[in-house]
Amino acid sequence: MKIFNLKNIGLLVLLIVAVFLPVVISDYWRFVLTIAFFYTIMAASWNLLGGYTGQFSLGHHTFAMIGAYTSTLLMQKAGAPFWVSIPAGILLTMIISSLLGVMCLRIHGIYLALITWAFAEVVRNYFRLHYAFTGGDRGIDSPLIFGTMKPTPYYYLFLGIAVLAIVLIAVIMRSKIGYYLRSIRDDPIAARSMGVDIVRYKIFVFMVASGLAGMAGVFYGHSIGLISPVMGDFNEMAMIIIFVVIGGMRTQAGPIVGAISVRYLMELLRAQSEFRIVILTAIVILIMRFFNGGLMELFRRLKKWIRRDREGPVSAYQELEQKQG
Amino acid sequence: MDDRSNLLEVKNVVKMFGGLRANDNISLQVEKGEIRGLIGPNGSGKTTLINLITGIYEVTEGSIHYYGRRIDGLQSNVIASMGIMRTFQVARVWRDMTVLENMLIPAFTQGLSRREAKSRAEELLDFALLIRLKDKQAKSLSGGQNMLLQIVRGFMHKDLKLYVMDEPFAGVHQSIKGIIIESIKMMNQGKDVTFLIVSHEMSTVKALCNKVTVLCKGERIAEGTMEEVANDPQVIDAYLGG
Repeated sequence: MKIFNLKNIGLLVLLIVAVFLPVVISDYWRFVLTIAFFYTIMAASWNLLGGYTGQFSLGHHTFAMIGAYTSTLLMQKAGAPFWVSIPAGILLTMIISSLLGVMCLRIHGIYLALITWAFAEVVRNYFRLHYAFTGGDRGIDSPLIFGTMKPTPYYYLFLGIAVLAIVLIAVIMRSKIGYYLRSIRDDPIAARSMGVDIVRYKIFVFMVASGLAGMAGVFYGHSIGLISPVMGDFNEMAMIIIFVVIGGMRTQAGPIVGAISVRYLMELLRAQSEFRIVILTAIVILIMRFFNGGLMELFRRLKKWIRRDREGPVSAYQELEQKQG
Repeated sequence: MDDRSNLLEVKNVVKMFGGLRANDNISLQVEKGEIRGLIGPNGSGKTTLINLITGIYEVTEGSIHYYGRRIDGLQSNVIASMGIMRTFQVARVWRDMTVLENMLIPAFTQGLSRREAKSRAEELLDFALLIRLKDKQAKSLSGGQNMLLQIVRGFMHKDLKLYVMDEPFAGVHQSIKGIIIESIKMMNQGKDVTFLIVSHEMSTVKALCNKVTVLCKGERIAEGTMEEVANDPQVIDAYLGG
């Protein structure tokens, strides 16, 4: 595979643009993009779990909350430094997600969605109700990692970890494990019969995806300075799914395109107040009706239309017949 | 793994689904290098037996041995790693993956490198006349081509010993059927792969199999060459009687 193909060059250009963008945009937009990068990690990691592997979790946002609370509570209650609290937050999300993954091994579809949603509600309500320890609905102050509210360092921090998460997911999906994950989603019985250890890889993907969400959550808390059970609201999960679906499920660029474009759109529509949710959901309906592969499918169709698809569709059966003469 | 002639031994296997006895005290021995047919009317328990051998179902009673080692109770993927591959009556290919990607997975699970797996896959796809479709998604293939893909995918196992096939010839085009038969012969003679084939196509079973086992209503009712079982009154009754 060539490293310097058109796609990779395009990605490099985008990355360079992202690096220099803060020079020309205001603090407000730096903050907006920082949040968009946070959601990019959440959407990309959920896509690994729900998109590529077919494990439709509704508890993904909860791992960001667990990561954020773990790190913050370790610092606030035990006086742990960042270098202890941050890895501990990520590690704990990975441990909890592995346990949840083991519990959910034989559960698919709507049942998996319900169990993970129930788990998310248990955790959210724990943080809400355990007021003395977690600060309840009021939330808890989270020490700022750069000691300032200026958005620029957080912009670069989240750009860095978003790139790291996306590269990690791309490496997994191009490896043998990526093949196994796709086979598990497509037909787990066939996968198992062909030697794929579906138990191991289901737990693995749960752990990696949740670990990434935990990492995003940990840094999110230490970037905005206040965490609360709002992080665990079901709306958060719905937004993550919307980002993936609008961008393009089971594509690597989809969650990035979805998270950034939808966040951008929501900011543009900020003046419309709550009415922007109506506009957003109307867009979701339109995209799902006409391009259920999301914006990536729209791009693919445009590309195809521009190239005029010279060969035209030939059925696989016709090809075999031709070969056999 | 030793080289004893009894590659597969099914001992007094019973499989219950609630009150239904789908397999009733079935015993069966398959020798190394054999092409064994497994026949019987619809609902006789053939697919259930295959699912027990390959770990999809758990046996209710009895045991299954492979090269003398008990394999009932093992996970399908562990059984596959021991060299037992299978096909399904309705081809279970990974529809959203390409033909080539479908081929690579069993090789990857056996530790083959990407290059080795690709080279082996292309060789087999070429033999199966599917090479031109290697970059097409499996869902764009016809039913027969999917069956063929499912079969050659099993050959990707680097140490394939036993191939269990469930109705590999059902509903496939004559030319594809020819390729399937050729591939079975090639792997049996060239690579010493043992086959256990469930089929309703008596002429094909007769041409391919050294020995057939007949099931009826969950029980083994006959075993022998095709000529022998064809003249067995119990078999005639099972197929023609009520």
